[in-house]
Amino acid sequence: MLLSPRSSNLVLPHRPLRLIAGAGVAAAIAALVALVLLAILAAAAGEPSRQSSVDVWHLVSMTAIQAGLTTVLSLLVGTALAWALNRLRFPGRDLIVGLFASAIVTPGLIVAFGLLSVWGRAGWVNQASLALTGQPLEVPLFGLGGILAAHVILDASFAARILLARLDAIPEKRLKTGQSLGLGAWRRFEVIDWPMLRTTLPGLAAIIFLLAFTSFPIVLLLGGGPANQTLEVAIYAAVRLDFDLRGAVTLALVQIGICSAIIIAASAFAPISASTGGSTPPRWRDGTAARIAQWTVLVFGIVGFALPLLAILIDGVGPGIIEVASRPSFWKALGTSLLLGSGSALLTLLLALGIGMGRAASGIPLLRVGIGAPAYAYLAVPAVVLSLGAFLLVRNAGMLPEVAAPLVVLLANALLSLPFALATLAPPLDAIAERRGRLIRSLGLSDWRQFTAVEWPLLGREAGVVLALAFCFSLGDLGVIALFGTEDFATLPLLMYRALGAYRSNDAAAIAALMLVITIAAFVLLPKLFGKLTDARS
Amino acid sequence: MRSFAHLALAAVICATALPVLAEDKPILNIYTYDGFAAEWGPGPGLKAGFEQTCNCTIEWTTSEDAISNLRKVQLEGTATKADVVLGLDTATSGEARATGLFAPHGLTPEGLVLPWNDAEFVPFDYGYFAFVYDKQKTPNPPTSFEELIALPASFKIVIEDPRSSTPGLGNVLWVEAAYGDRAPEIWKGLKPHVLTMTRGWSEAYGLFLDGQADMVLSYTTSPAYHAIAEDKHNYAYAPFSEGYVAQVEVAGVLKSSDQPDLAKAFLAYLTTPEAQKIIPTTNWMYPVIDLGADLPAEFGKPPAKVLTIDEAALAANGRAWVDAALAALQ
Repeated sequence: MLLSPRSSNLVLPHRPLRLIAGAGVAAAIAALVALVLLAILAAAAGEPSRQSSVDVWHLVSMTAIQAGLTTVLSLLVGTALAWALNRLRFPGRDLIVGLFASAIVTPGLIVAFGLLSVWGRAGWVNQASLALTGQPLEVPLFGLGGILAAHVILDASFAARILLARLDAIPEKRLKTGQSLGLGAWRRFEVIDWPMLRTTLPGLAAIIFLLAFTSFPIVLLLGGGPANQTLEVAIYAAVRLDFDLRGAVTLALVQIGICSAIIIAASAFAPISASTGGSTPPRWRDGTAARIAQWTVLVFGIVGFALPLLAILIDGVGPGIIEVASRPSFWKALGTSLLLGSGSALLTLLLALGIGMGRAASGIPLLRVGIGAPAYAYLAVPAVVLSLGAFLLVRNAGMLPEVAAPLVVLLANALLSLPFALATLAPPLDAIAERRGRLIRSLGLSDWRQFTAVEWPLLGREAGVVLALAFCFSLGDLGVIALFGTEDFATLPLLMYRALGAYRSNDAAAIAALMLVITIAAFVLLPKLFGKLTDARS
Repeated sequence: MRSFAHLALAAVICATALPVLAEDKPILNIYTYDGFAAEWGPGPGLKAGFEQTCNCTIEWTTSEDAISNLRKVQLEGTATKADVVLGLDTATSGEARATGLFAPHGLTPEGLVLPWNDAEFVPFDYGYFAFVYDKQKTPNPPTSFEELIALPASFKIVIEDPRSSTPGLGNVLWVEAAYGDRAPEIWKGLKPHVLTMTRGWSEAYGLFLDGQADMVLSYTTSPAYHAIAEDKHNYAYAPFSEGYVAQVEVAGVLKSSDQPDLAKAFLAYLTTPEAQKIIPTTNWMYPVIDLGADLPAEFGKPPAKVLTIDEAALAANGRAWVDAALAALQ
C-alpha cells in the first residue's frame, strides 16, 4: 500500500476544471524550477568544469541526521503542545496560539538571537543563576544541540499551530459521542485525535525535514564551526566563492533529488483526512492526571517557545524604536512589506486552493502526488540558486532587474508559503471531497456552488490561517532579493539586515520587535476575522 | 471609482514622466553593496558631493555584498548597465581583473597613504582585520595568535565563514601571511576557542555585542564606531604582534560603460579630500589620504606592521587555504 488509496466507496464529483487548474499550477511551478536551473547552466556554458572539493555524501549524511532529529523532535513536541492547547481554556490563550505560530515566520536569525538572549552566556537564565547561586549555568548552545533547539522552536511551534487547527476541527458530534462513552484521556487521543492528526503529520514532517535540511543562517550561527554544515552552505560557496555555476547546479540537483524523495514519500504515505468542520468544541475535560500533564506541557512550551520571542520584544523596546520610526525609509519599507505581504498572501491562497482542489478532485494516487509535490519547490531549491536563476531569467526576458524585483519577490514569497498553505488546506479539502462528494454529486452542484456553498464556509478559518501565514512569511523573508536590490526597494527584513551590517544593532532589534508584533497581530486577528466572515455566510 | 481612476492615471503619468525628466542629465550607474548606499553610509554624501560638479545623476544599484556585485557583472557581461563597480577589495580585485571586464582608469591619485600601483582599481578606504574585545571584560587580551591559542578553552572567539564572508576570508589570509606552512597548525590550535563560525560579519559582531564571546574577528576601525557614534570607549582591538592584513576597498570602471569619462571622474573624486572626509564616519574605515585633523582622533593610528598577500599566490592557492583552514577546524 505504497500510495494510500481513498476509501473504496468513494464518490467524487466530476471536476475536470479543477483537475486541469491544479495540474496547471503544479506544472507551471515545476517548469519554473527547470527554467531557473537551465538559465544558470546556459550562463555557465563555456566555463571550464572544476573539480569540486566538496565531500557531498558526508555533507548529505550529516545534514540528514540533523534534519531527521529536528523532524522527530518537532513533531513530538508539536503534538504534545497541540494536545494541551486543544484541551485547556485560559485567558490569553489566543495570544499564546498566535505567538506559537509566529515563530516559524520570524526570520530564523532573530529567533536564534532570542534563544541566546534567554539561554546564552550573557542570557537571562545564566544571569539569574549567577545572582542566585553565584555559579554560571552554562548551557551548551553551540553545536548540534543549539541547531536542534533553534529548529525545534521554529518548527515545533508551527507544527503545534497546524495540528491544533486539525484538533479544533473535530466535529462536535464525535466529541459528544466520545464523552458519552466516557473515554479516558489516552483512549480519547487514540480514537478521536489521532485519526485527525495523522492525516497532517506526513506533510508536516516533509516540510520540517526540508526546512531543517536547507537551513543556512541558523546552522552557521549556532553550529559552532564547520563540522555542522548543510549542502546549502556548499552551494552558496560554489556560487559566491568559486563562481562555479555548473558545480552549483549539480549540488542543487542533489539537494532537489533528496528533497523530492522525501516529498513524494510523504505524499504517498499521507492518509486522506477523515473529516472537517466544527467550531467550538464542547467542554469536555480530561481527568486530573491528564490535565496536570497538559498544564506541564503548556508551561514548558511557553518557557521554551515564548521566552525567546519575548526576549526579542524586550530587546527591541528602547531608544532604537523612536530613531527607527523617525526615518522615512522605515515607513517606506513598512509600506513595501505590507503591500508585498498582502499580495503574496492572496497569491498563496489562490495557488494553494488551485492545487488543493485539484488534488482533492482526483482519485488516482499518482496524479495526486504529481499535483501536490511541486508545491514544495521553494523548500527544495537552494535560495542562492533561485535568486541567481531568477535574475538570469528576468534579464533574458529583457526586463530590468530592479523593475522586475517586486514581481519576483512576490512570486518567491508565495512559493515559500505554498507548502505551509497546502499543509493547512489540503486535509480539509480532501475531507470535504471524501465525506460530501456523494451529496454534492446528488445535488448536482456546479463547481462554483460547491466552492461557495460547501467548501468556503468550512474552510474560512483555515483560509485565514493561510493568509496570516503567507502574509507573515512574506513580511519576514529576505528570499531572492539578494541580487535585485536597489535603494528604492527595501523590505523590513532587508532594512534590519542592513542595520545589523552597519553596527546598528539597536535599530535592528527595534525592527525585529516591530516585525514580530505585526506577525502576532496577523496571526491572532486574521483567522478570527475569516472565521467570522464565513460563519456569517454559512 | 472616478477618483480612483484619476489617481491611477496620475500615478501612471508620474511614473512615465519621471525617467524622462531624469534623462536630461547623464546617469552614472554604480553597483555597490547595501551598506555603502544606505542612508547612514557614505553613498548619500558622495552622491550629493559629486553631483554638484558633474552635471549628472548617480544611481546606486545594490547587492548584499561586494562579491555579489562582481558575480552580477560577470553574469551580465558587456550588457551590464553598470559604469562603476564600487566596493571590491584586495581579496577579490585580482579575480575581477581576470574577468577582463574592467578598463584601465588612467589616473594617478595623489597623496595616497598606501603604496598603490593598480591600473584598473582605485582605493577609497581601508582597514585591517583584527580581533575586537571589551576592555572591561578582558583587561589582558592576547597579543598574538599563539598567545590566544595558549589561553584556556573558555576564552571564546567568534569568526566568520571564509566561504561567505569578507572578514572570514581575510582571517584565512591573515593566518596564511603570518604563518605560511604553519597555518593549519594555528587553525587547529584556534579550534577549541571558536565559539562558532557565522555566515557574515553582522551575526558574528552581534554575538560579540550580546556578550556570547570574548573577541570577534572584525576591523581595527570598529572601536572608533563605538567611541564616536555611541560614546562607548570600552572596545579596542587586540594588538597582535604578527602584524595585520589590510582590506583595501576599491572601485573600478567597466569597459562596457557608456559614460567612461564620468566614471573616471567619479573615481578621481573618490580620493579627493572632500570625498575622503565623508568616508571614515560613515563606512567606518580609514581614509586613503592623510586627512590630518579632519580624521577623528578616535580612529587612532593604523597599525604599523602590515602583512601583504601576493595577488598571484592568492589566485593560485586561495581556495586551498580556505579548505585547509576549514579542515583544521572540522
